[in-house]
Amino acid sequence: MNFDAMKKNQGESNLLIWSTAVAFFAAMVAIFIYVPTEQTEGVVQRVMYFHVPSAWLSFFAFFVVFICSILFLWKKEREWDIYAHASAEIGVIFCSLVLVTGPLWARPIWGAWWVWDARLTSTLILWIIYTVYLMLRTQSDAGSMRARYAAVLGIVGFLNIPFIHFSVLWWRTFHPQPKVITNEGIGKGMDPTMLATLGVSLCAFTLLYFLLMGVRVRQEKLKDEVDQLTREKHYSV
Amino acid sequence: MDNLGFLFAANVVVWGGIIYYVYTIQRRNRALEKDLGLLKETLNKEG
Repeated sequence: MNFDAMKKNQGESNLLIWSTAVAFFAAMVAIFIYVPTEQTEGVVQRVMYFHVPSAWLSFFAFFVVFICSILFLWKKEREWDIYAHASAEIGVIFCSLVLVTGPLWARPIWGAWWVWDARLTSTLILWIIYTVYLMLRTQSDAGSMRARYAAVLGIVGFLNIPFIHFSVLWWRTFHPQPKVITNEGIGKGMDPTMLATLGVSLCAFTLLYFLLMGVRVRQEKLKDEVDQLTREKHYSV
Repeated sequence: MDNLGFLFAANVVVWGGIIYYVYTIQRRNRALEKDLGLLKETLNKEG
């Protein structure tokens, strides 16, 4: 039964919980104590250490949706559908955080909460696509056509991500150019202490993704079993 | 709001978002446990 399996997995989960907690503690120390204040933007620049990892996590989550949706359409196995659904939910949560922390950083720097430039608009479109995906999922049963439609949307939605990444290079935008991956190499556009802090924060958010995925996938599998038992009970009456 | 206020707000939004999401997961888990308990009880009664 799944509850026994859940208890068995508890040991592995505990290790991940502790690793994530330690990584977040290290990230908070680095963000608020270790890293020096940026000269031009001042203290508000520290929002970057939440904003960029949230963006990374959401893009990674949508990449997992993309891969799992392809595998679901190909193999027709519910397992891939569960992974895609769980990852999309996490992706939307963190994409929402990107869309809120971005304006909080932009307001004192640009003098505006929001501008309709290519990067911001395409990120908003990404958020809308995957929110629609989740709305579609709430109405779909396993194996139904709607689950397949959701998978197609999950694949199509991901195609927006390369566009988001390159938008700041293709057009003149308010949003800053990439600082971590540049033409000169990885991390060449940043101060080493800032890069280290961003690295720790990225690790913490990535660990959080795997922790949340583990919990959500187990939950969806348990939900499937409860639904199955409910159906069996109804048929037996 | 000064720059520190914006940083504080961003921090609150991120932590608040994460904590709220974990809370919703926990709430769904409790509902599932309740459903499973009821199912087990019903199945045991039916023998």
